[in-house]
Amino acid sequence: MTTRVSDPTGPLQGITVLDIGGEITNYCGRMFAQLGADVVLVEPVTGSSYRRAAPLAASTGDSLRFAYDNSDKRGLGLDIASPGGREVLERLLASADLILDDRTELDLAAHGLPHERLSHLFPGLTTTVVTPFGLQGPYADYVATDATCMAFGGMLWLGGYEDGPPVVAAGRQAYRAGSLFAAVASMAALVADDGAGELIDVSVQECVSLGLENAIQYWDLERHVRRRHGGKQKQAGFGVFPCADGYVFLIAGGIGGNRFWNNFVAWLKDEGVSGAEELERDRWWERGFVESTEGKDLFWEIFTPYSSAQPKAALLEAALRWNVPLSPLKTMSEVHQSPQLQARDFFSTVRIGETEADAPGAPYRFSDSPWRSDRPAPHLGQHTRELLTERGYSLTDIETMLQKKEIA
Amino acid sequence: MSRPLRGIRVIDFSWVGAGSYATKILADLGADVIKIESTKKVDGIRLSPPFAGGESGVNRSGYFADRNTSKRSMLLNLKHAEAVQIALRLIADADIVCNNFSPGVMDRLGLGYDAVSEVNPRIVYLSMSMNGASGPERNARGYGAMMSAITGFHHLSGIPGRIPAGTGTNYPDHIPNPTHAAFALLAALRHSRRTGRGQQIDMAQTEAMLVTLGPEMLAWTVNGDDPAPVGNSADGWVWQDVLPGRADDSWIAVSARTVDEWRALLGALNLPGTLDPQRDRAAIATAVARWDNHELAHELQRVGVPAAPVLSPPEVVDDPQLTHREHWQMLEHPEMGRTLYNGQPFRFARARVQPTSSAPLLGEHTAEICEELLGLGPAEIERLRDTDVLS
Repeated sequence: MTTRVSDPTGPLQGITVLDIGGEITNYCGRMFAQLGADVVLVEPVTGSSYRRAAPLAASTGDSLRFAYDNSDKRGLGLDIASPGGREVLERLLASADLILDDRTELDLAAHGLPHERLSHLFPGLTTTVVTPFGLQGPYADYVATDATCMAFGGMLWLGGYEDGPPVVAAGRQAYRAGSLFAAVASMAALVADDGAGELIDVSVQECVSLGLENAIQYWDLERHVRRRHGGKQKQAGFGVFPCADGYVFLIAGGIGGNRFWNNFVAWLKDEGVSGAEELERDRWWERGFVESTEGKDLFWEIFTPYSSAQPKAALLEAALRWNVPLSPLKTMSEVHQSPQLQARDFFSTVRIGETEADAPGAPYRFSDSPWRSDRPAPHLGQHTRELLTERGYSLTDIETMLQKKEIA
Repeated sequence: MSRPLRGIRVIDFSWVGAGSYATKILADLGADVIKIESTKKVDGIRLSPPFAGGESGVNRSGYFADRNTSKRSMLLNLKHAEAVQIALRLIADADIVCNNFSPGVMDRLGLGYDAVSEVNPRIVYLSMSMNGASGPERNARGYGAMMSAITGFHHLSGIPGRIPAGTGTNYPDHIPNPTHAAFALLAALRHSRRTGRGQQIDMAQTEAMLVTLGPEMLAWTVNGDDPAPVGNSADGWVWQDVLPGRADDSWIAVSARTVDEWRALLGALNLPGTLDPQRDRAAIATAVARWDNHELAHELQRVGVPAAPVLSPPEVVDDPQLTHREHWQMLEHPEMGRTLYNGQPFRFARARVQPTSSAPLLGEHTAEICEELLGLGPAEIERLRDTDVLS
C-alpha cells in the first residue's frame, strides 16, 4: 500500500462505547476499540464470568478468550442494582454514543433499566442488544450456548459426518456472528445522518442462519435437503485427503466447469501415479459419475496412495506448479509460521501477565486511519478512578462507592 | 420508515461469495448498491444451483438471489475504454467502491485506487482478495472452503481421531468476511465524512477469518499447545455433546456448563445423579435416543438446561422463533416468482433494515442508471448498447 498514513487515531476516533455484555458482545466492542473508539468494558463488581472462559494461560490462569476479546478497552466494575452503581452507569451513558448489551427481557426484570428507558433518558444513544434469540418471541427466555445456537440456526445440520454426528464448528462462531452483525448494525445506526439514537435487537440464531450457504434455497426451489458430507468427498476430487503429516483440502473437480481437472491429471501423470490414466476418461466430466460412490471411491484409490506418502508442503508446492486449488489443513502452529502472514506482519502482540505473545492482528488495513492494538485487556477495575474522575466524581465519592462495593 | 444508509451509493464490482454478501448488507440497510455486471463474464453464482423450478438460467439461481437483494444491476463491459469512463463517472458521485478480485485486476482495468481517488478523493475503496495485496501468496486464488483449511478452522472442526469435518460450507464467505468488510466500509465512510478524505482498505479474507480464532491461536503462542479438534465437547464445562434422537438422522445439542445443569439434565432423563460426564456418555446417549429431539430440547429448557434440536433446512424455515422474527422473507422476482430469502439478523426500532427487492435481473437497471445518474438520453444509450459498451 503506497498511501501515507495521515491520521494515526483510527476512523472511529471520538466515538464512546460502553460494552456491558460478556462473550456475546465483547468481540464487537473489540472491533470498535481497534478502529479508535473509546470502549469501556463495564463488568459486575465480582468480574465478568467471561474471565473464566477456556482456554486459560497455563502460567497465570488468565482466560485467553477474555484477554483477546477485550484488548484495547478500558474497564470498570459496577453493581447496576445499587443506587451508586446505577448513577455511575447513567453518567457513563450521558457521554456515550453506543451501548452494547446482552441482557434478555428476563435479565431486565431482575436488574431494572430496560432498554426503552435508556432511549428515553438518552435520546442520542444507540442501544444494541445481542441475545441468543432476540428480545421477543417463543424462545426469548431460552438458555443457550454457542452450540445450541448453531443447532437452532441450522449450521450444525450441515457440518459433520455423512455417517456420523453433526459437529460444532471451532471458535464459538455463533457468538462471533452475533458480535459481527451487531458491529455492522451499530455502525450503520451511527452513520445514519439523523443524529438520533436507535434500539437494535440482534438474534444470534438469526445470525447463524446467514451461514447456511444455499441450503434454504435448495429446499425452497428444488425441494432438496442438503446434508453433511464431512469425512467424505462432496464429489470425486473435492474434499479432504490424507497426506504424510496431516490432511489437505483439494478442489480438483467441480469448480468453474471443471477447469482445473486437466491440470490435476497432468500433475498425477507427471508423478507417475498408478491409475492416473484412468482419470483421463470422459466419465470424470459427467455429473452422475463424479457424484456417485463408485466415482468417489475410485478417485480415492488412485489419489490417496500418492498423497499419503507426501508431506503437506510438497503437495502444496506441486499444486501451485500445476495450478490446482489445494490447501493444507493447517494447525494453529502452522498458521503462525505462514510465510504469507509473516510477510504481511499480520500478528500483533498481546500481553498475558508478564509474557508477550502473538495474536491475530488487523482484519483490514486502512491506508489513512489505521487499525491499532496497543492496550491489553483491563484487569477488573483498572480504569475505575480514571473514568469516574473524567466524569466529575471526586476521589472521596469514588472511595465511598468502592467501600460500599457499588463499584469495583 | 427511514433507512439508515439512505443516500449512500456503492459502486459494486464484487461478485461470487463474500463481496456480494457484504454489499447485500449495505443494500438491505438502504444504500443504493449498483452491481456492475457483464454478459461477457457473468457472475459465476448466477450459474450455480439451486435454480427456480430446477431450471438453470442467469436469472434463476437461488444462490445468487439470496446474496443480491435490494441491489440494482448495470451492464458495463469493462474491456471497453468507454465503459471504464462511465464507471469513473458513476464513482465520482459515489461514496464506496468495493471489489473482491485478485490484486492488480482493478488496476489493469483502469479502476485502481489511484485512478478512482483522482476523480473522487472522498471515496472509500475496499479490495477483499483471498490473501491481501501484498506477500508471497498474494496471487493465490481461493474459495471459502480453502480459506477454512489454511486458517486452521477446518483442522479444528471435527471429531478427534477422524478426518476433520469442517462446516460443510464455504463458511468464511458467509459471515466473517462480509461482516468485517461491511464494518470497515462504514467506519471509513464516517472518517471520510468528517475529514473529507477517503481511503483504501486492503482486506485479506484469510486474515478476516483468522481474527475470529484469536483464543485458539493464543493457545499455541501462549501455552505452546497446538490445539487439536475437540469434537462436540466444550473445554472448561462439565459436559456438552450432540446426540441422536429417536427419529432417523435427528439430533440434539445439549450443554451442561455447570454441575447444576448436569444434575438437571440427569433428572430430566431419569438417570441417577451419580453418573460421570466423562465415563457415562453411553448411558446418556441411550436415554436421549428414547426421545423426540424437539420434545427433549423443550423439556430440558424447562429445567434450565441449554438444549436445541439440530434443525434441518425445512425445520429452520418453519422454526417458530425465526417466524416470529419474520426472518425468512418471501420476495417476488420476475422470473423466479415468490421465493425465500434471508432477512438481516437484526431489528431496528425506528428504521427499516430488511430487503426491499429481490435480486436484480442481469443488467435490469442499466438504462435507468444511465438516465438518472449520467443524464444520458435514449439515443445515446442505444449507441452504447450497439457498440458493446453496455453489455
